[in-house]
Amino acid sequence: MMEFLLAFLGSFAGAILFNIERKNLIWAGICGGISWIVFKIIYIQTDRVVFSTFVAAVACGIYSEAMARRCKTPAFVFSIPGIYPLVPGITAYTTVRAIVDGRLVFAANKGLETIGTAGAIAFGVMLASTVFKFVYKVNEKYKNKPRFTS
Amino acid sequence: MNAKEVMEIASFAGEILLSSGAEIFRVEDTITRICNSYGVECECFVMPTGFSTTVRNKNGEVYTTVKRIKNRSVDLHRVEMVNTFSRGLMEERASYKEAMDKLNSIKNMPYFSYRVQLVSAGFVALGFTKLFGGSFVDAFLAFLISMFIFYVKDFIQQYGFFQFLEFFISGLIVGLFSVIIGKLFANVSIDKVIIGAIMTLVPGVAITNGIKDALYGDFISSFARLIEATFIAIAIGLGVGVALILQISWV
Repeated sequence: MMEFLLAFLGSFAGAILFNIERKNLIWAGICGGISWIVFKIIYIQTDRVVFSTFVAAVACGIYSEAMARRCKTPAFVFSIPGIYPLVPGITAYTTVRAIVDGRLVFAANKGLETIGTAGAIAFGVMLASTVFKFVYKVNEKYKNKPRFTS
Repeated sequence: MNAKEVMEIASFAGEILLSSGAEIFRVEDTITRICNSYGVECECFVMPTGFSTTVRNKNGEVYTTVKRIKNRSVDLHRVEMVNTFSRGLMEERASYKEAMDKLNSIKNMPYFSYRVQLVSAGFVALGFTKLFGGSFVDAFLAFLISMFIFYVKDFIQQYGFFQFLEFFISGLIVGLFSVIIGKLFANVSIDKVIIGAIMTLVPGVAITNGIKDALYGDFISSFARLIEATFIAIAIGLGVGVALILQISWV
Protein backbone atom coordinates (compact mmCIF):
# COMPACT_ATOMS: atom_id res chain seq x y z
CA MET A 1 0.00 0.00 0.00
CA MET A 2 2.87 2.31 0.84
CA GLU A 3 4.39 1.60 -2.57
CA PHE A 4 1.08 2.27 -4.28
CA LEU A 5 0.96 5.69 -2.61
CA LEU A 6 4.55 6.47 -3.62
CA ALA A 7 3.96 5.50 -7.24
CA PHE A 8 0.76 7.51 -7.11
CA LEU A 9 2.67 10.54 -5.84
CA GLY A 10 5.28 10.23 -8.57
CA SER A 11 2.75 9.93 -11.38
CA PHE A 12 0.58 12.67 -9.94
CA ALA A 13 3.48 15.12 -9.81
CA GLY A 14 4.62 13.98 -13.25
CA ALA A 15 1.15 14.67 -14.59
CA ILE A 16 1.41 18.24 -13.32
CA LEU A 17 4.64 18.62 -15.31
CA PHE A 18 2.77 17.51 -18.44
CA ASN A 19 0.05 20.08 -17.81
CA ILE A 20 -2.95 17.82 -17.52
CA GLU A 21 -6.36 19.14 -16.68
CA ARG A 22 -6.98 19.38 -12.95
CA LYS A 23 -9.86 16.94 -12.70
CA ASN A 24 -7.89 14.21 -14.49
CA LEU A 25 -4.78 14.47 -12.34
CA ILE A 26 -5.93 12.04 -9.70
CA TRP A 27 -6.88 9.36 -12.25
CA ALA A 28 -3.48 9.71 -13.88
CA GLY A 29 -1.87 9.18 -10.50
CA ILE A 30 -3.93 6.05 -9.86
CA CYS A 31 -2.81 4.75 -13.26
CA GLY A 32 0.81 5.02 -12.09
CA GLY A 33 -0.04 3.21 -8.87
CA ILE A 34 -1.78 0.36 -10.71
CA SER A 35 1.06 -0.18 -13.14
CA TRP A 36 3.60 -0.33 -10.31
CA ILE A 37 1.55 -2.81 -8.29
CA VAL A 38 1.03 -5.07 -11.32
CA PHE A 39 4.74 -4.88 -12.08
CA LYS A 40 5.64 -5.78 -8.52
CA ILE A 41 3.25 -8.75 -8.33
CA ILE A 42 4.39 -10.25 -11.64
CA TYR A 43 8.03 -9.57 -10.83
CA ILE A 44 7.81 -11.42 -7.52
CA GLN A 45 6.15 -14.38 -9.27
CA THR A 46 8.37 -14.70 -12.35
CA ASP A 47 11.58 -12.75 -11.65
CA ARG A 48 11.69 -11.45 -15.25
CA VAL A 49 12.01 -7.67 -15.54
CA VAL A 50 11.08 -7.15 -19.19
CA PHE A 51 8.10 -9.51 -19.09
CA SER A 52 6.66 -7.99 -15.92
CA THR A 53 7.12 -4.50 -17.35
CA PHE A 54 5.22 -5.59 -20.44
CA VAL A 55 2.30 -6.95 -18.41
CA ALA A 56 2.23 -3.81 -16.28
CA ALA A 57 2.23 -1.63 -19.39
CA VAL A 58 -0.69 -3.61 -20.82
CA ALA A 59 -2.58 -3.09 -17.55
CA CYS A 60 -1.78 0.62 -17.69
CA GLY A 61 -3.02 0.80 -21.29
CA ILE A 62 -6.27 -0.98 -20.51
CA TYR A 63 -6.92 1.26 -17.53
CA SER A 64 -6.24 4.45 -19.48
CA GLU A 65 -8.45 3.41 -22.40
CA ALA A 66 -11.28 2.62 -20.00
CA MET A 67 -10.83 5.95 -18.22
CA ALA A 68 -10.66 7.75 -21.55
CA ARG A 69 -14.10 6.44 -22.45
CA ARG A 70 -15.42 7.52 -19.06
CA CYS A 71 -13.86 10.99 -18.87
CA LYS A 72 -14.17 11.75 -22.61
CA THR A 73 -10.51 12.65 -23.03
CA PRO A 74 -7.76 11.11 -25.18
CA ALA A 75 -6.19 8.06 -23.55
CA PHE A 76 -2.62 9.41 -23.52
CA VAL A 77 -3.63 11.81 -20.75
CA PHE A 78 -3.60 8.81 -18.40
CA SER A 79 -1.14 6.46 -20.04
CA ILE A 80 1.84 8.82 -20.28
CA PRO A 81 2.00 9.65 -16.54
CA GLY A 82 0.99 6.05 -15.83
CA ILE A 83 4.12 4.53 -17.32
CA TYR A 84 6.38 6.76 -15.22
CA PRO A 85 7.06 4.16 -12.50
CA LEU A 86 7.98 1.56 -15.14
CA VAL A 87 10.64 3.66 -16.87
CA PRO A 88 13.92 1.74 -16.55
CA GLY A 89 15.76 4.34 -14.49
CA ILE A 90 17.66 1.84 -12.36
CA THR A 91 18.91 -0.32 -15.22
CA ALA A 92 19.90 2.73 -17.26
CA TYR A 93 21.83 4.09 -14.32
CA THR A 94 23.48 0.72 -13.69
CA THR A 95 24.57 0.68 -17.33
CA VAL A 96 26.24 4.08 -17.04
CA ARG A 97 27.83 3.08 -13.75
CA ALA A 98 29.22 -0.12 -15.29
CA ILE A 99 30.65 1.76 -18.28
CA VAL A 100 32.34 4.20 -15.92
CA ASP A 101 33.80 1.35 -13.89
CA GLY A 102 35.05 -0.32 -17.08
CA ARG A 103 32.87 -3.46 -16.76
CA LEU A 104 31.80 -3.44 -20.40
CA VAL A 105 30.23 -6.91 -20.59
CA PHE A 106 28.00 -6.15 -17.63
CA ALA A 107 27.20 -2.78 -19.24
CA ALA A 108 26.13 -4.44 -22.49
CA ASN A 109 23.99 -6.81 -20.48
CA LYS A 110 22.24 -4.05 -18.60
CA GLY A 111 22.01 -1.84 -21.69
CA LEU A 112 20.09 -4.52 -23.57
CA GLU A 113 17.80 -4.90 -20.58
CA THR A 114 17.17 -1.14 -20.63
CA ILE A 115 16.30 -1.13 -24.33
CA GLY A 116 14.10 -4.19 -23.88
CA THR A 117 12.23 -2.60 -21.00
CA ALA A 118 11.67 0.65 -22.88
CA GLY A 119 10.35 -1.25 -25.89
CA ALA A 120 8.16 -3.42 -23.69
CA ILE A 121 6.54 -0.36 -22.10
CA ALA A 122 5.73 1.29 -25.42
CA PHE A 123 4.49 -1.91 -27.05
CA GLY A 124 2.43 -2.90 -24.02
CA VAL A 125 0.57 0.40 -23.90
CA MET A 126 0.05 0.46 -27.66
CA LEU A 127 -1.10 -3.15 -27.77
CA ALA A 128 -3.73 -2.51 -25.13
CA SER A 129 -5.00 0.61 -26.87
CA THR A 130 -5.10 -0.99 -30.32
CA VAL A 131 -6.96 -4.06 -29.07
CA PHE A 132 -9.35 -1.83 -27.17
CA LYS A 133 -10.05 0.25 -30.28
CA PHE A 134 -10.52 -2.88 -32.38
CA VAL A 135 -12.99 -4.40 -29.95
CA TYR A 136 -14.83 -1.09 -29.73
CA LYS A 137 -15.13 -0.84 -33.51
CA VAL A 138 -16.26 -4.43 -33.93
CA ASN A 139 -18.80 -3.90 -31.20
CA GLU A 140 -20.07 -0.76 -32.88
CA LYS A 141 -20.44 -2.54 -36.21
CA TYR A 142 -22.23 -5.42 -34.57
CA LYS A 143 -24.68 -3.08 -32.91
CA ASN A 144 -25.49 -1.20 -36.12
CA LYS A 145 -25.96 -4.33 -38.19
CA PRO A 146 -29.61 -5.30 -38.64
CA ARG A 147 -30.11 -8.53 -36.78
CA PHE A 148 -31.87 -11.48 -38.26
CA THR A 149 -33.55 -13.57 -35.67
CA SER A 150 -35.09 -16.81 -36.67
CA MET B 1 -14.36 32.29 -45.87
CA ASN B 2 -11.69 31.80 -48.51
CA ALA B 3 -9.27 28.91 -48.74
CA LYS B 4 -6.31 30.97 -47.60
CA GLU B 5 -7.90 31.75 -44.25
CA VAL B 6 -8.89 28.13 -43.75
CA MET B 7 -5.31 27.15 -44.43
CA GLU B 8 -4.05 29.65 -41.86
CA ILE B 9 -6.35 28.30 -39.17
CA ALA B 10 -5.45 24.70 -39.97
CA SER B 11 -1.72 25.29 -40.01
CA PHE B 12 -1.85 27.28 -36.78
CA ALA B 13 -3.71 24.45 -35.09
CA GLY B 14 -1.14 22.02 -36.47
CA GLU B 15 1.70 24.15 -35.19
CA ILE B 16 0.29 24.20 -31.66
CA LEU B 17 -0.29 20.45 -31.72
CA LEU B 18 3.13 19.55 -33.04
CA SER B 19 4.99 21.83 -30.64
CA SER B 20 3.07 20.38 -27.66
CA GLY B 21 4.13 16.83 -28.39
CA ALA B 22 1.13 15.35 -30.22
CA GLU B 23 1.44 12.27 -32.39
CA ILE B 24 1.75 12.60 -36.17
CA PHE B 25 -1.55 10.98 -37.02
CA ARG B 26 -3.35 13.33 -34.66
CA VAL B 27 -1.84 16.41 -36.33
CA GLU B 28 -2.74 15.16 -39.81
CA ASP B 29 -6.22 14.25 -38.63
CA THR B 30 -6.81 17.67 -37.11
CA ILE B 31 -5.60 19.62 -40.14
CA THR B 32 -7.72 17.53 -42.50
CA ARG B 33 -10.72 17.79 -40.22
CA ILE B 34 -10.53 21.57 -39.98
CA CYS B 35 -10.21 21.95 -43.75
CA ASN B 36 -13.03 19.53 -44.44
CA SER B 37 -15.37 21.24 -42.02
CA TYR B 38 -15.01 24.42 -44.11
CA GLY B 39 -15.50 22.45 -47.29
CA VAL B 40 -11.95 22.79 -48.64
CA GLU B 41 -9.83 19.97 -50.04
CA CYS B 42 -6.58 19.44 -48.23
CA GLU B 43 -3.42 17.35 -48.28
CA CYS B 44 -0.79 17.55 -45.59
CA PHE B 45 2.53 15.98 -44.84
CA VAL B 46 3.67 16.07 -41.24
CA MET B 47 7.02 15.26 -39.69
CA PRO B 48 8.19 15.91 -36.13
CA THR B 49 10.33 18.84 -37.24
CA GLY B 50 7.77 20.58 -39.42
CA PHE B 51 4.89 20.12 -41.83
CA SER B 52 3.51 21.35 -45.12
CA THR B 53 -0.13 21.78 -46.02
CA THR B 54 -1.76 22.32 -49.39
CA VAL B 55 -5.37 23.34 -49.72
CA ARG B 56 -7.50 23.67 -52.83
CA ASN B 57 -10.88 25.35 -53.03
CA LYS B 58 -13.71 24.66 -55.45
CA ASN B 59 -12.41 27.15 -58.06
CA GLY B 60 -9.15 25.23 -58.28
CA GLU B 61 -7.01 27.81 -56.46
CA VAL B 62 -4.15 26.17 -54.59
CA TYR B 63 -2.34 27.48 -51.52
CA THR B 64 0.61 25.85 -49.82
CA THR B 65 2.32 26.59 -46.56
CA VAL B 66 5.36 25.13 -44.84
CA LYS B 67 5.88 25.41 -41.08
CA ARG B 68 9.09 24.59 -39.33
CA ILE B 69 8.77 23.54 -35.67
CA LYS B 70 11.82 24.35 -33.59
CA ASN B 71 10.70 24.14 -29.98
CA ARG B 72 9.04 20.99 -28.84
CA SER B 73 7.77 20.47 -25.33
CA VAL B 74 5.11 18.29 -23.75
CA ASP B 75 1.81 19.90 -22.88
CA LEU B 76 -0.99 17.36 -23.02
CA HIS B 77 -3.70 19.78 -22.00
CA ARG B 78 -3.04 21.96 -25.06
CA VAL B 79 -3.27 18.92 -27.33
CA GLU B 80 -6.57 18.03 -25.75
CA MET B 81 -7.93 21.57 -26.18
CA VAL B 82 -7.01 21.76 -29.88
CA ASN B 83 -8.56 18.34 -30.38
CA THR B 84 -11.82 19.49 -28.83
CA PHE B 85 -11.69 22.73 -30.82
CA SER B 86 -11.34 20.94 -34.16
CA ARG B 87 -14.17 18.54 -33.32
CA GLY B 88 -16.33 21.51 -32.37
CA LEU B 89 -15.78 23.03 -35.82
CA MET B 90 -17.51 20.07 -37.43
CA GLU B 91 -20.74 21.03 -35.72
CA GLU B 92 -20.49 24.79 -35.77
CA ARG B 93 -18.25 26.75 -38.14
CA ALA B 94 -16.50 29.66 -36.47
CA SER B 95 -15.49 32.78 -38.38
CA TYR B 96 -11.82 33.41 -39.17
CA LYS B 97 -11.39 35.86 -36.32
CA GLU B 98 -13.18 33.72 -33.77
CA ALA B 99 -11.14 30.65 -34.68
CA MET B 100 -7.82 32.51 -34.57
CA ASP B 101 -8.72 34.09 -31.22
CA LYS B 102 -9.63 30.71 -29.80
CA LEU B 103 -6.35 29.16 -30.99
CA ASN B 104 -4.35 32.10 -29.69
CA SER B 105 -5.93 31.73 -26.27
CA ILE B 106 -5.12 28.00 -26.34
CA LYS B 107 -1.53 28.78 -27.30
CA ASN B 108 -1.01 31.32 -24.52
CA MET B 109 -2.91 29.35 -21.92
CA PRO B 110 -0.88 29.10 -18.73
CA TYR B 111 -2.15 26.21 -16.76
CA PHE B 112 -0.06 25.39 -13.75
CA SER B 113 2.08 28.19 -12.40
CA TYR B 114 5.85 27.92 -12.48
CA ARG B 115 6.06 27.38 -8.73
CA VAL B 116 3.64 24.46 -8.78
CA GLN B 117 5.61 22.85 -11.58
CA LEU B 118 8.86 23.38 -9.72
CA VAL B 119 7.56 21.74 -6.57
CA SER B 120 5.97 18.88 -8.48
CA ALA B 121 9.29 18.24 -10.25
CA GLY B 122 10.66 17.81 -6.76
CA PHE B 123 7.86 15.46 -5.76
CA VAL B 124 8.47 13.23 -8.79
CA ALA B 125 12.01 12.70 -7.54
CA LEU B 126 10.88 12.26 -3.94
CA GLY B 127 8.30 9.62 -4.82
CA PHE B 128 10.57 7.57 -7.05
CA THR B 129 13.64 7.70 -4.82
CA LYS B 130 11.56 6.29 -1.99
CA LEU B 131 9.89 3.77 -4.32
CA PHE B 132 13.21 2.43 -5.56
CA GLY B 133 14.39 1.80 -2.04
CA GLY B 134 16.04 5.01 -0.84
CA SER B 135 15.80 6.35 2.68
CA PHE B 136 13.98 9.52 3.68
CA VAL B 137 17.21 11.52 3.60
CA ASP B 138 17.92 10.31 0.04
CA ALA B 139 14.41 11.23 -1.02
CA PHE B 140 14.69 14.70 0.43
CA LEU B 141 18.03 15.32 -1.28
CA ALA B 142 16.63 14.11 -4.59
CA PHE B 143 13.71 16.48 -4.06
CA LEU B 144 16.08 19.46 -3.77
CA ILE B 145 18.30 18.43 -6.69
CA SER B 146 15.33 17.79 -8.93
CA MET B 147 13.91 21.24 -8.23
CA PHE B 148 17.28 22.78 -8.98
CA ILE B 149 17.70 21.01 -12.32
CA PHE B 150 14.16 21.94 -13.32
CA TYR B 151 15.15 25.57 -12.80
CA VAL B 152 18.44 25.19 -14.68
CA LYS B 153 16.81 23.36 -17.59
CA ASP B 154 14.23 26.11 -17.94
CA PHE B 155 16.94 28.73 -17.76
CA ILE B 156 18.95 27.14 -20.58
CA GLN B 157 15.81 26.59 -22.63
CA GLN B 158 15.09 30.30 -22.63
CA TYR B 159 18.37 30.99 -24.38
CA GLY B 160 17.52 28.39 -26.99
CA PHE B 161 20.68 26.32 -27.16
CA PHE B 162 20.39 22.94 -28.76
CA GLN B 163 18.33 20.44 -26.85
CA PHE B 164 20.98 17.95 -25.88
CA LEU B 165 23.06 20.51 -24.01
CA GLU B 166 20.21 20.95 -21.54
CA PHE B 167 20.07 17.26 -20.83
CA PHE B 168 23.83 16.90 -20.65
CA ILE B 169 24.14 19.74 -18.16
CA SER B 170 21.18 18.50 -16.12
CA GLY B 171 22.71 15.05 -15.92
CA LEU B 172 26.06 16.54 -14.99
CA ILE B 173 24.50 18.63 -12.22
CA VAL B 174 22.61 15.65 -10.82
CA GLY B 175 25.81 13.60 -10.83
CA LEU B 176 28.00 16.31 -9.31
CA PHE B 177 25.59 17.20 -6.53
CA SER B 178 25.01 13.57 -5.61
CA VAL B 179 28.73 12.88 -5.57
CA ILE B 180 29.44 15.89 -3.38
CA ILE B 181 26.61 14.95 -1.02
CA GLY B 182 27.89 11.39 -0.92
CA LYS B 183 31.27 12.76 0.17
CA LEU B 184 29.82 14.95 2.89
CA PHE B 185 27.35 12.52 4.43
CA ALA B 186 28.45 8.93 4.75
CA ASN B 187 25.01 7.32 5.06
CA VAL B 188 23.55 8.62 1.80
CA SER B 189 23.39 6.18 -1.14
CA ILE B 190 24.14 8.31 -4.19
CA ASP B 191 22.75 5.68 -6.58
CA LYS B 192 19.24 6.12 -5.26
CA VAL B 193 19.50 9.92 -5.26
CA ILE B 194 20.67 9.97 -8.89
CA ILE B 195 17.98 7.55 -10.08
CA GLY B 196 15.24 9.57 -8.42
CA ALA B 197 16.51 12.91 -9.61
CA ILE B 198 16.83 11.98 -13.30
CA MET B 199 13.23 10.73 -13.42
CA THR B 200 12.01 14.16 -14.53
CA LEU B 201 14.39 14.11 -17.50
CA VAL B 202 13.67 10.71 -19.05
CA PRO B 203 12.24 10.84 -22.59
CA GLY B 204 9.18 8.68 -21.92
CA VAL B 205 6.87 10.62 -24.23
CA ALA B 206 9.32 10.54 -27.13
CA ILE B 207 9.67 6.74 -26.93
CA THR B 208 5.93 6.10 -26.63
CA ASN B 209 5.12 8.50 -29.45
CA GLY B 210 7.86 6.98 -31.59
CA ILE B 211 6.36 3.51 -31.30
CA LYS B 212 2.84 4.89 -31.75
CA ASP B 213 3.84 6.65 -34.98
CA ALA B 214 5.33 3.42 -36.31
CA LEU B 215 2.11 1.56 -35.54
CA TYR B 216 0.14 4.13 -37.52
CA GLY B 217 2.53 3.85 -40.48
CA ASP B 218 4.55 7.08 -40.13
CA PHE B 219 7.92 5.39 -40.21
CA ILE B 220 10.08 8.45 -40.86
CA SER B 221 8.59 10.31 -37.90
CA SER B 222 8.85 7.25 -35.72
CA PHE B 223 12.52 6.93 -36.54
CA ALA B 224 13.11 10.63 -35.88
CA ARG B 225 11.47 10.44 -32.46
CA LEU B 226 13.28 7.28 -31.44
CA ILE B 227 16.58 8.87 -32.45
CA GLU B 228 15.66 11.93 -30.40
CA ALA B 229 14.88 9.76 -27.39
CA THR B 230 18.11 7.81 -27.80
CA PHE B 231 20.20 10.93 -27.94
CA ILE B 232 18.47 12.45 -24.92
CA ALA B 233 19.17 9.27 -22.99
CA ILE B 234 22.80 9.30 -24.13
CA ALA B 235 23.15 12.97 -23.14
CA ILE B 236 21.83 12.31 -19.64
CA GLY B 237 23.98 9.22 -19.27
CA LEU B 238 27.05 11.11 -20.43
CA GLY B 239 26.42 13.86 -17.91
CA VAL B 240 26.00 11.44 -15.02
CA GLY B 241 28.94 9.38 -16.26
CA VAL B 242 31.31 12.36 -16.33
CA ALA B 243 30.37 13.16 -12.74
CA LEU B 244 30.95 9.54 -11.68
CA ILE B 245 34.36 9.49 -13.38
CA LEU B 246 35.28 12.66 -11.50
CA GLN B 247 34.27 10.91 -8.28
CA ILE B 248 36.45 7.90 -9.03
CA SER B 249 39.55 9.89 -9.93
CA TRP B 250 38.94 12.19 -7.00
CA VAL B 251 39.19 9.45 -4.39
